[in-house]
Amino acid sequence: MDNFESLRAQIRVYLVTVCLIENILLLGGFWLAVKYWHISLNFELLMAYGLGVILTVIVAFIVTDYVLKPLKALWQAIIHLSPSEQGVAAPDINKLSVGRALVTNLTAQIYQIVTVAEHSESIAIKQQGSLKSDFIANNLPLPLLVLSPDQIILFANKAACTYIGRHAEDIVNQNLYSIMNISFPSDQTLDNWLKKAKESTVTDSQLWERVRLNVTDNQPTRLFDLAAYYNKDNPQKYEILLVLFDHTTQYSQDDQAISFVALSVHELRTPLALLRGYIEAFDEETEGKLSPELQSFMSKMNATAQQLSAFVNNILNVARIDNDQLSLQLHEENWPEIVQGTVDMMSLRAKVRGIKLTLNMAADLPTVGADRISIQEVIANLIDNAIKYSGSSKEIIINTRLNDEGLVETTVQDFGVGVATSVLPNLFTKFYRDHHNRAQIGGTGLGLYLSKAIVSAHGGNIWVKSTEGKGSTFGFTILPYTQLADETKNNDNKEIVRSAHGWIKNHSLYRR
Amino acid sequence: MPPDNQTTHNNGKRVLCIEDEHFISELYARALGRRGYDVDIELDGQRGLEKAQTNHYDIILIDLMVPTIDGIEILRTLRDSAKTPHLKAKIIIITNLEQREDVRADIEKQADGYLVKAEITPYELADILDKLKINNS
Repeated sequence: MDNFESLRAQIRVYLVTVCLIENILLLGGFWLAVKYWHISLNFELLMAYGLGVILTVIVAFIVTDYVLKPLKALWQAIIHLSPSEQGVAAPDINKLSVGRALVTNLTAQIYQIVTVAEHSESIAIKQQGSLKSDFIANNLPLPLLVLSPDQIILFANKAACTYIGRHAEDIVNQNLYSIMNISFPSDQTLDNWLKKAKESTVTDSQLWERVRLNVTDNQPTRLFDLAAYYNKDNPQKYEILLVLFDHTTQYSQDDQAISFVALSVHELRTPLALLRGYIEAFDEETEGKLSPELQSFMSKMNATAQQLSAFVNNILNVARIDNDQLSLQLHEENWPEIVQGTVDMMSLRAKVRGIKLTLNMAADLPTVGADRISIQEVIANLIDNAIKYSGSSKEIIINTRLNDEGLVETTVQDFGVGVATSVLPNLFTKFYRDHHNRAQIGGTGLGLYLSKAIVSAHGGNIWVKSTEGKGSTFGFTILPYTQLADETKNNDNKEIVRSAHGWIKNHSLYRR
Repeated sequence: MPPDNQTTHNNGKRVLCIEDEHFISELYARALGRRGYDVDIELDGQRGLEKAQTNHYDIILIDLMVPTIDGIEILRTLRDSAKTPHLKAKIIIITNLEQREDVRADIEKQADGYLVKAEITPYELADILDKLKINNS
């Protein structure tokens, strides 16, 4: 009210000044009357004049207040509605005697303006800030998360809270990964995609299938498809939008099938090992005593038992991959020795089908960083595949060399049925087999999926080139040991190698 | 098939195989015998432990699932110098099962090897044992 007080003071000064000037003029009149009309000034007259001056000043003060009342009411009304000035009462317009109608009218106008302003402000706030009050976002029956550029959760709708199993206040302002333990089926993760998107685009979107949400408290793992939308420099920092599509039931049926098969297959291992043991003993006892035909039966029996054993291993390893339990330990290994050993092991299986395995190894290959048994499974799977799809051709060529990028590259080439270009991208997925060949060729379709997982775990790549009717070449790379040692400072117990098959401390077969 | 010309290398190496699965112990005994090992088979855990404590062996193979005493208990007892002083044998656990965390930790600490029976044939076992460095021999 300081401004109002100073206005009042100013007006008082004006009015008093006006009154005083009027009095000076009056005094001048007195002087003229005394001089020309010879009127004598007596004491009473002077007293009356002085009283008049004082009364004029008082009246000026009163008139100021009176005149300013409507203005004061308006002032008070505006201040009262102002959000910055607190504690000012609304004016009592009914007590106004001057300008009541005008002030009433003006105050009403002010109230109206303020209401409109407030309303538009609240609309602006809604649009800008609060997804919380957004009907669609909140009631979307799909889990929806909004993340800031540094992956802090800014908003989680009701469905997301239910899905994650926490209250909104526990989720919001937390890092996504501290709230959700998610894992992606390949190395194309949300993180990697975002990194790329941030560098190269303004908006981008991506869909992942079979993303896992690992839940604690013995709850089953959830499987979902994840759709992500990226918007660079969003004014509200709403840079990343995630929508989850739960497919736990559907996907876990596959996984349960694998788990069930794995469980059953596990029971096959002991009898199978026994069978192979007895075949081995039988072969040894009868060596040189059997007719060529019986000897070939023996070889086929042995090869088939080996194949069954490899199949069982594949199933169990796929179950391990699916449960994130396949852990490899990479050690320095002599690569030609591994390849040669595997080719020798597979040669019996090739031989019973009349196929010749030709192995070409470059000289002076560096030692590699490998989990011996797992990488042998990869080579065996590729050769097994080549045998199955060789058709009438009788040769398979295995090459290993140091490629231009300094990686150890191994290829398995067959001259059989080949694969149509359209299905090439699907070859490394679980359960996939070429539809044309499905009827006539056995196999689980797991071998390539497994091989890809194992090669990836080695830091390498696996690929295929194929021409239908002419054959296929499958190849993979793994890292030389020196390169691997640079990349991973492995502090693990170097004396122990773990794998599906066991370990021996300080043993040349299992450790180097 | 593996030739028997390694017999002389392993002459006198004594192996105790604590394994209740008759077929497996039969196959192991035969293959190791052919390679020149002197193999004792024991189907019962308690008796196997006693044999291991009272006789000299170079290698002891222990199945984890044997009657009367668990394989893991046999391992712990044999590695407890108070209960089994002067044990020189290499101890190798043979099993088909995935282990609980604590059991696995003990095996890793106390055993010289761990083999999955289903993954190796008897002669592959012999190959592995051939390459073991035996204490005092």
